[in-house]
Amino acid sequence: MADKMDIDAINGEKEAEKVGPAPELPADRVIINNFGLIVQAVNTFDHRFTLRALRSISTLRKADNFAEALVKGIRTAFPKPSNNARRVLEEALPAQHTTVTNGTASNGAKVPEETQFAEVWAYLGVLVQVYLYDAGEHKKGAEFSDHFVDKIRDLNRRTLDPIGAKAYFYYSLFIENLDPKPPSKQSPVMDIRPKLLAALRSAVLRKDADTQSVVTVLLLRNYISTADITQADLLVAQTQLPNSAANSQVCRYLYYLGRIRAIQLSYTQAHEHLVAATRKSPTTGPAVGFYQQATKLLVVVELLMGDIPDRSIFRQASLESALYPYFKLVQAVRVGDLQAFLKCVSVYEDQFRKDGTYSLTLRLRQNVIKTGVRMLSLSYSRISLRDICTRLGVHSEESAEYITAKAIRDGVIEATLDHQQGHLVTTPQRDAYSTMEPSEAFHARIEALLGMRDECVMAMRYPTNKHRQEIAEAAKARERERELAKEIVDGEIDDGEDDGGFEGM
Amino acid sequence: MAEHEVKQVISQLHSLKVSNLQTAPKLLSKAKLGLLHLNALVPDDKTSPAHLLLATTVLEQGALLSIRLKDTDAFTRYYQQLQPFYSLPANRWSRTGKPANQGKVTGLYLLLLLSVGDYAGFHTVLEGLETTGGKEQLENDQFIQYPVRLEQALMEGSYDKVWGETKGERVPSEEFGVFSEVLINTIRSEIASCSERAYPSLLIANAKNLLFLDSEGAVVQFAQSRGWLAKDGRIYFPQQEEENMAAEKDVMSSTGIVIENTLGYARKLETIV
Repeated sequence: MADKMDIDAINGEKEAEKVGPAPELPADRVIINNFGLIVQAVNTFDHRFTLRALRSISTLRKADNFAEALVKGIRTAFPKPSNNARRVLEEALPAQHTTVTNGTASNGAKVPEETQFAEVWAYLGVLVQVYLYDAGEHKKGAEFSDHFVDKIRDLNRRTLDPIGAKAYFYYSLFIENLDPKPPSKQSPVMDIRPKLLAALRSAVLRKDADTQSVVTVLLLRNYISTADITQADLLVAQTQLPNSAANSQVCRYLYYLGRIRAIQLSYTQAHEHLVAATRKSPTTGPAVGFYQQATKLLVVVELLMGDIPDRSIFRQASLESALYPYFKLVQAVRVGDLQAFLKCVSVYEDQFRKDGTYSLTLRLRQNVIKTGVRMLSLSYSRISLRDICTRLGVHSEESAEYITAKAIRDGVIEATLDHQQGHLVTTPQRDAYSTMEPSEAFHARIEALLGMRDECVMAMRYPTNKHRQEIAEAAKARERERELAKEIVDGEIDDGEDDGGFEGM
Repeated sequence: MAEHEVKQVISQLHSLKVSNLQTAPKLLSKAKLGLLHLNALVPDDKTSPAHLLLATTVLEQGALLSIRLKDTDAFTRYYQQLQPFYSLPANRWSRTGKPANQGKVTGLYLLLLLSVGDYAGFHTVLEGLETTGGKEQLENDQFIQYPVRLEQALMEGSYDKVWGETKGERVPSEEFGVFSEVLINTIRSEIASCSERAYPSLLIANAKNLLFLDSEGAVVQFAQSRGWLAKDGRIYFPQQEEENMAAEKDVMSSTGIVIENTLGYARKLETIV
């Protein structure tokens, strides 16, 4: 079960949407309809239409006749067989599809006009990439994508950006699946770095937020896959994720950032990023794998900070079985049982290695000891070093003395040592409410909520030019008011005249 | 021609006596010049296995010698230069076999990071080794295991373990011994800062054992250097009272934070309403 979840986890991270409603329209209709959306996007310069077209990819790829539909789509867009763009796309597809359906396009009595838009071509290109990826043709896909992303970059059209971002995503995915796979230092992922960096540079210069965010995340993923943490750290320091980046990219970015910081021992920062990543990520559906991964890392980081994660985390249906080893780990750390901890690490070693958390869990050893010391100090007002030694499973009394002394200095326990007697004497606990702790906890929560509200406000979308309309309306209203006022004044005068008339009568 | 020269320098380096270590940098620069002539200082696709081995030998010797000369900057440079060689695929080394001192140099670099307190760098390097090298390579290499053990002991506070590791026979090679002194100083100051908080007072004789010092005179000297009070054969730690005072002040200074936070909430509320 755990294995199966894990496969899902990896797929989920790679955005391989496995569930979703079945397409109602036949696949080829959907593709051809999407041309309309894309053309509309280009004409109105609103990338939302493009995004809508891209969103249907997940349903399209599951259609049985995806390849045929794709060929149909290509022929509709480029009816002339001699067309260069059409040739490029069709070459990437297996031959039997292109020959079988040869007749269909010319069937139509009226030949549809040649599409003018590079966007449509690029959209079809992404579909070809998806097809190749699903068919497991990584090598072919990598070659195709290599030229494809170059072409997109040369075209340099802003309406092309969301599609280009997708193209880079699949490009990197193909490369990752080529042998030798990372973390080998000879993996082809090393070779695409210059290309991705170039893409990032041009994306920033062109203010192309879509490609920028996707490529930044891909580069981070790339560096981390070969354990080049220093380079990843430098990349983070030199670049920034655009504010308008899509939620899924922000999630990934935060996750990778959390990972880097955890390795560098800045647990507080790592915790912050990972909490944000898990809160932003969808907790169900195809992305559940990502959520599991991020939560796993978060649990380990929380333990490293000396906190114990909530029991409720492990009760969530989507996490329960995936996080089972981590649950055991938390149990061992919570009671400060060094033997249980070591056993847990060795039993689940393979799982931890697979999740890339193994070296982090090894660091937990000291936390286990610290928790052990704290438990002892809470339970006994006075305990001999010998007893501490046996309870903690430390090999000598001297070690125990140094460990407790360190715990006292680090503020883990409030106690003093008596060297001559060999005792640890606990000083009575101070009331937590006389310290700053409650207000700090309160502050942390309020901060998080306020931050969320700010993000919500910023994420709201207002129709463009709406405010101008409002101004116009306001101006109109004022005009009307003035007219009304004028009429009233006029009316009064009229009234006056009427009155006068009355009087006159 | 250049190849022959480099080989000559290497043999000279190997036979170098302790007394004239100072001549090593000169020899090394000569060797590096030779490597440049061979186009082998930085590996590329065409560098032959023989040249690769030559270059790594020179660089590794350079790294080990600079550790003996206590020139850590030079060592770091050599370490960085060796990285592209170490990341070459196994088939590039063909008959000549993998470079001999990879574990040693990496272990020394880890120890260097540890001794300067760069734990983040330490773990970053270790993570890289873990992912690329695999478990077996890491756990069987005594040169890498040594700093890893030390780090663990330092982190959990078993200073007596660190002390034991730095003594003669436990040190895996003589280059590692260079760091022992640094490490002992590190743990001594760690123990001192722990003792300040943990003990109300301490017998000088006990302090001698705790701090791994040789004589009571040394203890008194050390106590003075940290500003402790030594009288009647006991050591008193004056910091504690100061810290109590500081804690008291803390409560006062925190009022500022409370006011600031509350004002912050008020401002936010205003923007919401």
